[in-house]
Amino acid sequence: MLRRTWAMAQKEFIQLLRERVFIIVLILMPILQLSLFAAAIHTDINHIPMVVADQSLSQASQSYLNSLVDSNYFDIVANVSGQDDLMKAIDAGKANVGILIPPDFASKVTQGQANVLVLIDGSDSYITNSAYSTINAISQTYAISLIRLPANPLNMNIRILYNPDLNQLWFLVPALLVMLMQGITMNLTALAIVREREVGTIEALLVTPLRPIELMLGKTLPYLAVSLVNMSSIFFFSTVIFGVPFMGSLLLFLFLSIIFAITGLGLGLAISTGSQTQMQAQQLGGMLNFVGMFLAGFLFPAYALPLALKVVGAIFPMTYFLPIARGVFTKGVGLAGIWPSVLASIFLMVIILFVATRLFRQSLD
Amino acid sequence: MPINLQRLRSLIRKEVTQLLRDRRALAFMIGLPLLQLFLYAYAVNTTVYHIPMAVVDQSQDAKSRAFIQALVNSQYFNADMYLQNQNQVITAIDDGQVKTGLIIPPEFATNTDRGTANVLMLLDGSDSASVSSGYGAAGLVAQNFSLGLISEQIVRKTGLQTGAALSASSLPITTSERVLYNPDMIDIWFLLPGLVGMLLQTLAVQRAALAMVRDRELGTMEQILVTPARPLEIVLSKIIPLLVLCLLAFVVIVGLGIFWFGVPFNGSLFLYFWLTLLFIASSLGLGMLVSVRAGTQRQAQQLAMPVMMFGMLLSGMIFPRLGMPLVPSLLGDLLPLTYFIRISRGIFLKGVGLSFVWQDAAALAIYTVIVVLVAARNFKSRLD
Repeated sequence: MLRRTWAMAQKEFIQLLRERVFIIVLILMPILQLSLFAAAIHTDINHIPMVVADQSLSQASQSYLNSLVDSNYFDIVANVSGQDDLMKAIDAGKANVGILIPPDFASKVTQGQANVLVLIDGSDSYITNSAYSTINAISQTYAISLIRLPANPLNMNIRILYNPDLNQLWFLVPALLVMLMQGITMNLTALAIVREREVGTIEALLVTPLRPIELMLGKTLPYLAVSLVNMSSIFFFSTVIFGVPFMGSLLLFLFLSIIFAITGLGLGLAISTGSQTQMQAQQLGGMLNFVGMFLAGFLFPAYALPLALKVVGAIFPMTYFLPIARGVFTKGVGLAGIWPSVLASIFLMVIILFVATRLFRQSLD
Repeated sequence: MPINLQRLRSLIRKEVTQLLRDRRALAFMIGLPLLQLFLYAYAVNTTVYHIPMAVVDQSQDAKSRAFIQALVNSQYFNADMYLQNQNQVITAIDDGQVKTGLIIPPEFATNTDRGTANVLMLLDGSDSASVSSGYGAAGLVAQNFSLGLISEQIVRKTGLQTGAALSASSLPITTSERVLYNPDMIDIWFLLPGLVGMLLQTLAVQRAALAMVRDRELGTMEQILVTPARPLEIVLSKIIPLLVLCLLAFVVIVGLGIFWFGVPFNGSLFLYFWLTLLFIASSLGLGMLVSVRAGTQRQAQQLAMPVMMFGMLLSGMIFPRLGMPLVPSLLGDLLPLTYFIRISRGIFLKGVGLSFVWQDAAALAIYTVIVVLVAARNFKSRLD
């Protein structure tokens, strides 16, 4: 059996290598994707454009505005005369924040009753949130500095574990590895099988002494190898070139990746049985990947999902692997910490393989 | 007139028949945008509330409990676990059971009276969203709590019984924030106008690319070429059904947005309709351009994928374009979606008129013309 499987695998491998362009794209795409994601996503926003209507023009108002600008969170892009102009600027998208300082600001400050009107553009969520909380915080801090209060009785020390500089890449890389791994194993396997069916060579294979299980293994093994190679290259690229630290055990990570890759292969098999053309397989695979991305917590936390979506997410392998990957990569946890997820994923892998092989056998008849 | 309406009508009928025949593709065409709409709507959380928190309260007095309560009341934190020491908390964060930990050392109440209380908050740095939400929230809650403590101190020291509690509102400078357009900062209000654009762009680019390539791949292109149909008619016959399809999608998505998700529409529907039409045209043009390099439908789809990815990440639909480095920013400028999002948000949420969005509208118009010309030139050379 081994010899036949190996022969099948070799054939598949040769066919794969023939598509030179495909391979180059395969290796380059993840790196491009990684760079793209990392460059595009930042949730910490500074230098928010701000328009100011300073009707006081006093030392006090200037000092206040300076505290806002010095924080680097806000940049004054225009000075206007009144509230209407502020609204116009925000309507036009010239600024996201407008500040109205009333004429009696300076005297009110000495009385301890000054008030500043802050208009915030609510149409851009991250900017709105950032602007809202920082303007509050900066204003309060500035105000506290004006009155000589006794020292802060409560000191809040905040320590960020694992990623103290909040480097967005460290957050994205493990997740991207998982996503790409699933995408590659799933899509490639599905495409390979459907291609044979489309072209019609599947009959030719069926008249050979190959047994269905050998056909299956022979088809999927080269892609397992390709995806592992790809994963290693991304891994190398992220750790060496992007400088993302890997804190856990390489052996454990490899072991878990293989499990995940096999799960992906199973999913690919399942998809292939449901698709007549390569395009359909690609669409289905792409959709599964896309949905899984959201439900697993790739960009937005999974625990914030509504219950119904959490339930749906439970059947996606990525939902378990994403926290596993982040755990091993960034936190450096060992098996002891993640064993429930690992168990769940092995369980899921077995089920998926079982269902997939059943479907595949049926489709061959 | 270079177009014969009779021929055009027959060609359109052929295209529509082909479109309707493929049940599966039809299901995808309708189902996928809807799936995306609901997924984005429910899964995207830009501010995270109810962050799972582990608490170690080594003081167990009224003050420490009040502080924990203050954190919970802010809605940002959920006190999910009560543990004994810091190591347990770190293990809980390691295992992913909680995303943050609060450690209150013993004698909290006494220390606050003395003015030297310290608490430690640990945040899971591997979870970007929780950290950005939790960091600011924790700081603010602590500051407010501090002010409360100070006022109690003052009351005690000076014996004032007026209960003039010092809070953020009694500082010499207070800010009155007004969030325009979306006062409750509801995520779906912010997402929907952008989603309309993204779903339309994805649909238009993909279907346009597929439509152009389909005949080439199936080999039926020769059959069409022997008919009296002119190239312009062939292209139009493919684009017009897709235009109608996209407009239908537009109506459904906006309808769902307003009536199901409750997003208010503040601008002129008339203006919005025409600008969306312009946007759909530009996206269809982009789809045609994409298809020029594709030999098979599968390749066309593969080329359409990055367009969707770019659309999601670089157009400003979710993540702000503010502060994006040069290269991603330029890439975003290449998408019609980036311009449409500004138009869409402007009309939907801000209720502005043409005077505010004419620049983006003009950009879209120029974009459409350029893209269609380039695609047409390439198409012609392919036909010959």
